[in-house]
Amino acid sequence: MDSHDRDHLLLTAFLAGELHPADARRWDEHLLACEQCWLAVREDRAGRQAAQVLRQPAPPALADRVRFAVELAAADTLARERPRHGVRLRWRWLAGAGALASAVAVTVALLLPGGREATSMPAAVAAVARYAETVPARQQEAGPGRPAAPVEVGRPVTVAAGGQRMVLRVWRLGRVEAVVAVSAQPFPMPARGVTGRGMAWTARLGKIGLYCRNGHTSELVAAPVPADQLAALAARLPPA
Amino acid sequence: MGADHRAFLEATLPHLDVVYQVARRAAGDGQDPEDLVQETYLRAYAAFGSYRGGNTRAWLAAICLNAARSTARRRRRRPWEVPIRVPLDTLPVAGTGGGRYSADVADVVIAGLDAQAVSRCLALLPEPQRVCIVLMDVAGYTARETAEVLGCPRGTVLARVHRGRRRLAQLLAEAGVTHGQP
Repeated sequence: MDSHDRDHLLLTAFLAGELHPADARRWDEHLLACEQCWLAVREDRAGRQAAQVLRQPAPPALADRVRFAVELAAADTLARERPRHGVRLRWRWLAGAGALASAVAVTVALLLPGGREATSMPAAVAAVARYAETVPARQQEAGPGRPAAPVEVGRPVTVAAGGQRMVLRVWRLGRVEAVVAVSAQPFPMPARGVTGRGMAWTARLGKIGLYCRNGHTSELVAAPVPADQLAALAARLPPA
Repeated sequence: MGADHRAFLEATLPHLDVVYQVARRAAGDGQDPEDLVQETYLRAYAAFGSYRGGNTRAWLAAICLNAARSTARRRRRRPWEVPIRVPLDTLPVAGTGGGRYSADVADVVIAGLDAQAVSRCLALLPEPQRVCIVLMDVAGYTARETAEVLGCPRGTVLARVHRGRRRLAQLLAEAGVTHGQP
């Protein structure tokens, strides 16, 4: 190893903050005398400092978005695994005792409607319904005499499900909290959806009612209320 | 059943900020960094059941870079390529009023730091140097973590980041000296 190689090793160790104390004095002397190494150190520091300008904190809503996307993925996994479990049970019983097994299979199917419904639901619509399920039920009543004005709860969350990007907001209307998803793409109507006036449709996933209205953007309202009340509830919400 | 999503979120969400730093630089042209972060976490969640522990934030960065690459492949475009060659004299870096740039590179750079200019100059660096700078100087990974993310020796990382920083400083200084000159 020649002197140049040794100096280069010292330079690398110095820049990494790992210069051995025994070499520190020799390195300091070298740095004072060597223009090339001095320039290398200055440029390294300047480049590092410049790059640090690019640091930017993550947007505050990103954590909510990620958390929701993961919870959604977890719920989907669970929904996919439940029917398989039901089928295994059904075959075992069928092999053992024909008629009794049929009854068990029907019971299992009735106990697990959410999983089957969710898998037949378009991913974007299912995501909105899942989000509405996570909104806690409120106990407070609307003020007497007139319906409460809508109040936004929390921050908007942007998610992508089934290749569709949407912004989710939660609005409180008296004792009901509704999730409103707005997307540039129209929300696909589920197989069991019912078309309404214009290009609107309604559907149901478990206890969550869904109402979709389409204009220059597509707006999907999800809330734990009967489907026939959703249009009226949506009309009380501020325009997207 | 899938991996426990609560345990996953507890282990990974504290690293959201560093993953976001990586995603902002790794996202290809037209790709939203926040979409890339979400994709990273979904991929990581899918793999969490077989994750054997170790450095979680290095694991997340590696997934983020892979996700960016596969998105770019789908779009038939590489994520780390410079979309448009920007003439250096158009970069908005404060000038020094003359003199050879090599004489006071550090002063020129530090005096006129501008995130947009830094971003453009960073995009001009070769990919290996750029990735090392993003991981170490922007996202705050150590050299050892960066080596783990990239699957290369730590010495290689240190050499790349040093060369990259010097080149970045020189590019910024050149832009600063050229800018506003007759």
